[in-house]
Amino acid sequence: MTQSVLEVGKSELAPEGISRVDSPEGFIAVYELDGAYYATQDGCTHARASLSEGEILEGELIECPVHGGTFHIPSGRAVGFPCKTPLRTYEVVDTGRTLLIHLERQAAATASDGETNTNGA
Amino acid sequence: MNGRKGIDPQTSCREDVALESLMDLDKGRMSRLVFQHPGLYERELERIFARCWLFVAHESQIPKAGDYVTTYMGQDNVIIVRQKDGGIKGFLNSCPHRGNKVCFADAGNARQFICNYHGWSFAIDGRLKGMHASEAFDSTGFDFEGHGLHPVARIDSYRGLVFATLDDRAPDLADYLGDMRYYLDAVFDMDDEGTEFVGGCVKSVIRCNWKLAAENFVGDALHAGWTHDSGARAMVGEGVDDLHKSPERSYQVNFNGHGWEFNQDIIGNCASLGDKELVKYLYAMQPRVAERLDDFRSRMIGSISSCTIFPNTSFLAGQNTFRTWHPRGPQEIELHVWTFVNKSAPPEIKERWRKGSMLTFSPSGVFEMDDGENWEYATRTNDGYVTRRQDLYIGLGRHTRVHDTSLPGNVYQGQVNEANQRAFYQRWLDLMGAAVWSDVPRRDVPTEAAV
Repeated sequence: MTQSVLEVGKSELAPEGISRVDSPEGFIAVYELDGAYYATQDGCTHARASLSEGEILEGELIECPVHGGTFHIPSGRAVGFPCKTPLRTYEVVDTGRTLLIHLERQAAATASDGETNTNGA
Repeated sequence: MNGRKGIDPQTSCREDVALESLMDLDKGRMSRLVFQHPGLYERELERIFARCWLFVAHESQIPKAGDYVTTYMGQDNVIIVRQKDGGIKGFLNSCPHRGNKVCFADAGNARQFICNYHGWSFAIDGRLKGMHASEAFDSTGFDFEGHGLHPVARIDSYRGLVFATLDDRAPDLADYLGDMRYYLDAVFDMDDEGTEFVGGCVKSVIRCNWKLAAENFVGDALHAGWTHDSGARAMVGEGVDDLHKSPERSYQVNFNGHGWEFNQDIIGNCASLGDKELVKYLYAMQPRVAERLDDFRSRMIGSISSCTIFPNTSFLAGQNTFRTWHPRGPQEIELHVWTFVNKSAPPEIKERWRKGSMLTFSPSGVFEMDDGENWEYATRTNDGYVTRRQDLYIGLGRHTRVHDTSLPGNVYQGQVNEANQRAFYQRWLDLMGAAVWSDVPRRDVPTEAAV
């Protein structure tokens, strides 16, 4: 089990609210939203792009830096054009000084099957 | 040229034109083909607009990283964008994939420019960040580095005015502006804060050759008393002064085709806006400018005057209109106009100038309409097959050069003159005849006083 949990010190996180961390599963984007922490795959599901280089928008959204598509951070749901496929999310446990990122578990708010982009864009 | 008819009457618009046959400026004559010939226009795009330093933005339009404006360099549409390090870059506004425009707005702030066609996405530094269906490109070994937006060759600014050139062999901007910098300071460096643009860009189309507009602003004080008589009466209740009767109070100066005709009356242009508060503001500024620069230039800050920075950017001190005449073929221009003000001026003064310049030099402005009609007919008459073969006169003030002066540039006595227009066309001819920058005759060399 220990290999499937990644421990990240909060002091290693970027002050801007999004950090990119390496994991056996590939790069992961770690977000801080008003003191709560979330993690998703770093690569955009639309085209090659690193979401940790994007910007956090109102409504807990991450905007992709390449095409401006958006995902809902807590659930991974694809929200804005051209994103259609949801992001893989990871459960994050806040221990105070560090974060435990469970690579085999999804976040509690993860979108259920079939709930993808519904904005028709 | 031989005698009065200098142009080979057999010359047709489909044939090449011998450049040397187009002008005899010492005799004050020039050909109308300069305003009409499609082949000459193509050559202008190559040798004037793809080569000279062209005005592309005012620093105040793009203060923050990602702020951009789009404009033209000749007929090449470009994006001018502020970088994260505070620098400014410029790019052709065209996707290197299938050529579509990547930015459709005139101005704004962007984190990237995304092409509508296939989703190619470019960073504000022009780099290709990615595209729709990137996996398909990855699998064909696509070279991302080699497919960014095409950059302008060089970009630089003087007193807040940003210029770019598409030719990496162009001289430095300081050298290009040369002695005109000395005079530009009278308007763009009145105090430590300099100028800014207020309001947006007002655009219009005039069916005239771009040079008729540029030559008007480079030196045509003559037309004011006739063309603008009714406009002046409408704005301030009286006509324009007889400028030609007191040449001792006014000048023309030029440097490598740039030119400024001006009076020493401090506020003449400004007074035409009919707003006494603006005249008061300039009178209050004048002693401070005299102290900062000198008395001579302090008398130019809003005087009866006009200026063109070669080839196609012009402004009027005092009326505070700033404009670029973008060519759209030999018989049409797209005119982009802004209002500039001193950054340090009180807000209500800035507002008065914005309104004043719109009343006079917007598409519905009283003076702009006067000019536009003249330039349209001066262009359109040359559709006449025989008409276009008749020379034009450009010889006014051929013996007015001031030699014993410490003023920089080429100085002429009396603003009612065509010395600047001749210098403008001499520069045009020099550039049109030179295949590369190093072949352009170096007629005017910057003097110490201008630096």
